[in-house]
Amino acid sequence: MTVQQPNPTARPVKPTSKLRTTLWLLVSLVVVAAFWSVDIKWSALADFPAQLIKYVGLMLFPPDWSKFGEAFMATILSVQMAWIGTVLGIIISFPLSFLASKGLAPRAVNAPLRFIFAVIRAVPEVVIAILILSVTGLTPFTGALALAVGSIGTLGKWGYEAFEGVDPGPKEAVRSTGGGTLALIRWGVWPSAAPEVLSFWLYRFEINVRASAILGLIGAGGIGKMLQDNVQFRNWDAVGMLLIVVVVVTMVIDQISGAVRNKLIHGTWRAPRLAS
Amino acid sequence: MEHTAADIRFSDVSVTYPNGYTGLKNINLTIPAGEMVGIVGLSGAGKSTLIRTINGLVPITSGSINVGAHQLNGRGGTQLRGKDLRELRSNVGMVFQSFNLAKRTTVLNNVLMGRLYHSPAWRTLLGAWKNDDVELAMAALERVEIVPKAYEKASSLSGGQQQRVAIARTLAQRPQVILADEPVASLDPPTSHVVMRDLQRINAELGITVVVNLHFLDLARRYSDRLIGLRSGEVVFDGAGADADESVFENIYGRSLTAEDVLGNKAEL
Amino acid sequence: MSTSVTSSPQPQPKTQRPTKPRHGAKSLAAVVLLVAITIWAGIGVQVDLPAIAANWRNATTNIIQLLQPDYGFFPKTIPALLETLQMAVIATVIGSALSLPLAFLASRATNPRPKLLAGVRFVMNMIRSVPDILFASILVAVVGVGALSGIMALVLFNVGIIVKLVSESLDGEDAGAQEAALAAGASWPKANRAAMLPQILPSFASQVLYTFELNIRASTVIGLVGAGGLGILIDNVRSFFRYHELSLIILEILVLVLVLESLSAWLRKKLV
Repeated sequence: MTVQQPNPTARPVKPTSKLRTTLWLLVSLVVVAAFWSVDIKWSALADFPAQLIKYVGLMLFPPDWSKFGEAFMATILSVQMAWIGTVLGIIISFPLSFLASKGLAPRAVNAPLRFIFAVIRAVPEVVIAILILSVTGLTPFTGALALAVGSIGTLGKWGYEAFEGVDPGPKEAVRSTGGGTLALIRWGVWPSAAPEVLSFWLYRFEINVRASAILGLIGAGGIGKMLQDNVQFRNWDAVGMLLIVVVVVTMVIDQISGAVRNKLIHGTWRAPRLAS
Repeated sequence: MEHTAADIRFSDVSVTYPNGYTGLKNINLTIPAGEMVGIVGLSGAGKSTLIRTINGLVPITSGSINVGAHQLNGRGGTQLRGKDLRELRSNVGMVFQSFNLAKRTTVLNNVLMGRLYHSPAWRTLLGAWKNDDVELAMAALERVEIVPKAYEKASSLSGGQQQRVAIARTLAQRPQVILADEPVASLDPPTSHVVMRDLQRINAELGITVVVNLHFLDLARRYSDRLIGLRSGEVVFDGAGADADESVFENIYGRSLTAEDVLGNKAEL
Repeated sequence: MSTSVTSSPQPQPKTQRPTKPRHGAKSLAAVVLLVAITIWAGIGVQVDLPAIAANWRNATTNIIQLLQPDYGFFPKTIPALLETLQMAVIATVIGSALSLPLAFLASRATNPRPKLLAGVRFVMNMIRSVPDILFASILVAVVGVGALSGIMALVLFNVGIIVKLVSESLDGEDAGAQEAALAAGASWPKANRAAMLPQILPSFASQVLYTFELNIRASTVIGLVGAGGLGILIDNVRSFFRYHELSLIILEILVLVLVLESLSAWLRKKLV
């Protein structure tokens, strides 16, 4: 059935923002320039699928099972580096992140600490390791120390963000009973922030497990060292074995750490279903 | 805008949920094209289930439902699926209690969701809508008197305005039927009347069949041609609003009426 | 105890005090476990504090060298610096373009097929568990030394991160509009595009910028295995103990990352 149209009113015009358009244009320009100027023979991509199949075959079909023990020990050493790095990072960053929180320490202390965290976050772990190398000599401990320093940057930042983000209610409650700064931290801030902060620690451990691999390249041992040794002599089946062990061990660690993080945040070992 | 209305026929429809809960029991109903029907009952009586069987959001366990030329069957019967199910749904608009808008995008984009079935995939992907579809969406916004807000973010609108955008979204479908599941439950009394009047006007002017779930008895009686009362998944009343007196409502609700069952006359526009 | 408490008119009846719930055994076990792991790991990595003291003299000379960057070296680092930037930009663009559809496949809010969902998630977990340096070494072998292998390694690294974070924000998103789109006859892909994409776009955009920051940092190091960028240079100067030059490279990384971080924070504010 046909009905009478309502009188058409004026249609609003689509609004545009000049700044946004300009910014998008600039971003696109940078992207185009990067693609255009980069020194890459894109034609190499044509052989890529065939080459990939070849190398996957060399690595995984079959992997060198006799290297299983070596691969497992290398991975464990990297995990140990990650663990020690995380523990040391926590010990150092924990008090520092309180000092970097506004309201818990003077501004004059907050600002330089935050700058130090930012600088540390800007430097890759392997560069930190090269710096530390000269102090400790070439041992896995160097790697652990580099990860510890690297962890201070992120843990420090996440820490003060968590402490500043806690609900002001309990803080006021502690203040109103006449508590000092230490009491405020212990009873007004820590109880609310603890689950989040503990979960950050675990998350940083997961990151360190991945980051520890690269440290072997400069001689700290573990995954990186075994990788370098075998790539050098093109022992691809040994690299394949290492790849399998690294993936399995990392996935197991992620599962455990993820379950503990869920337990800390949601109270259950498995993530709750949010949307159905 | 051209609209054809569709009739709806329930033949012995039952719904049993996977957990064993009975949603609907042997429903037989015929809703002629162009009628405005209000469905009342306590929460849990099966109002929402009834409405959601009509567009296949809740699959029926037995019996069959005819919506215009389409038929939905219970288990064992031919199932409407894929493209056929989507075609049925494109003919049936739905308004929800909590508006169900994508709040971070514009009002116009929300209304254009009513055109998704008819638009080719590449157009939806790029957001390159046909001019006809944009005009249809604008006309739909016009009908609910909200056109000037077309390019504003949905989140910036009030609850009543958001529900009217949702109604415009169903209009953009050019539907044969509009289903409304507690459309005013999240709104204040004056806004409730505005939204109900919009639905009534759409029914009267466009002749679209409208089925609306309502908790408030007075709203239901006032805005619908016909009332259907549900209790424990069964139809316990079916008749004109005028025939539904206190005793009928007490039968539907299984208890005497309280102030919470009526919206009241306060602040009518 | 006296019953004549003057301050309260009625004597408070003494109820039974609840006993403090005991978590003692469990907490103790957890602490013991953590300490044991730490000791085991400490032995593994050969924690050696005396060595630090012994090496300190050696270290101070190096540190003094490091504090005096050789600015004359700067022109020689420009090509590598540019390559690092190019790699980061290109990898971010390709990585985010691939991640967006994958994120929709990896969220239970947007993928109605349980088997496909489980499959996509498994592959994504696997990709995320491979260290970027391992990808880079293998890809250098497959496509040769240079920026291409680096970009590919970064793309894999980015897909792992973005898909995880964006699919998690999809999981937490209100699915109301999507339900409405499906009820209007849209297919799942169309409903996801129209109803879910606008909702997660801001979080996607900030993930992309965050990934760009990670890429700048990562692209400085994957060169250590020959995958292009500043890393190759780091490897060269490090092997020959040219600490003045190393110091300049570190300074460059520092400035680059800090500048780009603030640029990306600013862009995030303007564009999202």
